[in-house]
Amino acid sequence: MFTERFLRDKRGASLEANERARIEAAITEVKTFGPRKIVARAGEPLTNSTLLLEGIMSRYLDDRNGLRQLVAIHFPGDFLDLHAFPLKVLDHDVATLTTATVATVPHAEIEAIAEEMPQLIRKLWFATLLDAAIHRAWLFRLGRLDATGRVAHFLCETNARLFSAGLSDGRRFALALTQADLAEICGLTTVHVNRVMRQLREEQLCLFRSSLVEILDPAGLAARGQFNPAYLYIADDSQLPSVQRQR
Amino acid sequence: MMRDATNQLQPETQPGIATAEGGLVFLDGPDGVATTMTPEAAAGTGRSLIDAAATAECQQATAIV
Repeated sequence: MFTERFLRDKRGASLEANERARIEAAITEVKTFGPRKIVARAGEPLTNSTLLLEGIMSRYLDDRNGLRQLVAIHFPGDFLDLHAFPLKVLDHDVATLTTATVATVPHAEIEAIAEEMPQLIRKLWFATLLDAAIHRAWLFRLGRLDATGRVAHFLCETNARLFSAGLSDGRRFALALTQADLAEICGLTTVHVNRVMRQLREEQLCLFRSSLVEILDPAGLAARGQFNPAYLYIADDSQLPSVQRQR
Repeated sequence: MMRDATNQLQPETQPGIATAEGGLVFLDGPDGVATTMTPEAAAGTGRSLIDAAATAECQQATAIV
């Protein structure tokens, strides 16, 4: 089954069996891309959307010097360019970070789903709104947090997203990203990320080695990153560490 | 309720703390500041900050008078 992680454990939006079956039926192709491959380019007309099955993908923008800012990271279960259905073109490139397997859903199939199952279209809409909520959290992270806070927030968010997808036990998860990737996510230099990772290790908050993350002190890491998982709309986020936002 | 804007985005009153490590200078905080500089860039930034601070102090003194 290709859709087992899509909207898994999402508040009020998890798929019913018939909805899952309809998306499965809409998939026309499953492809695997090598790491660091561009899958969709900004401005290119698109006729398909992509459900990520395995691996990690990114959306990114390059500045005029060719320096990259990752503006979104996607994990298995993310319908990562559903935006392309109404927009038809993207304003950013989409690329794999690791080897990634994706399922292709033609926009014509999504159009048909809109006719047949309006409640399912609302759930696809929910998925794009979830992306928007994550973007807002990324803006907060870059605008308000220092280097350690940014990395701590990203690791807490990733833990929560993977927990929701069934890929983290709430403290440990595989994350095949490099320090350069973390730098491009957090708006830091690679050496700065290296220093932050050491600080997190020395403060006994988190270990990240050999593509495995182990959160040693979930509450401490959440506090360091001012992380509150409410924006991820996870059905049961009571096991996830959180800070209370000031009201 | 959204907090009063007067409580937000005020000029920083605490100095940032720079540290050196591995031949580079790191400036972490306050708030969203997180940058890595070569020693030359850091020294140039430091001089520029001191010059600008002196100018700003003069501006404040002039404004008070």
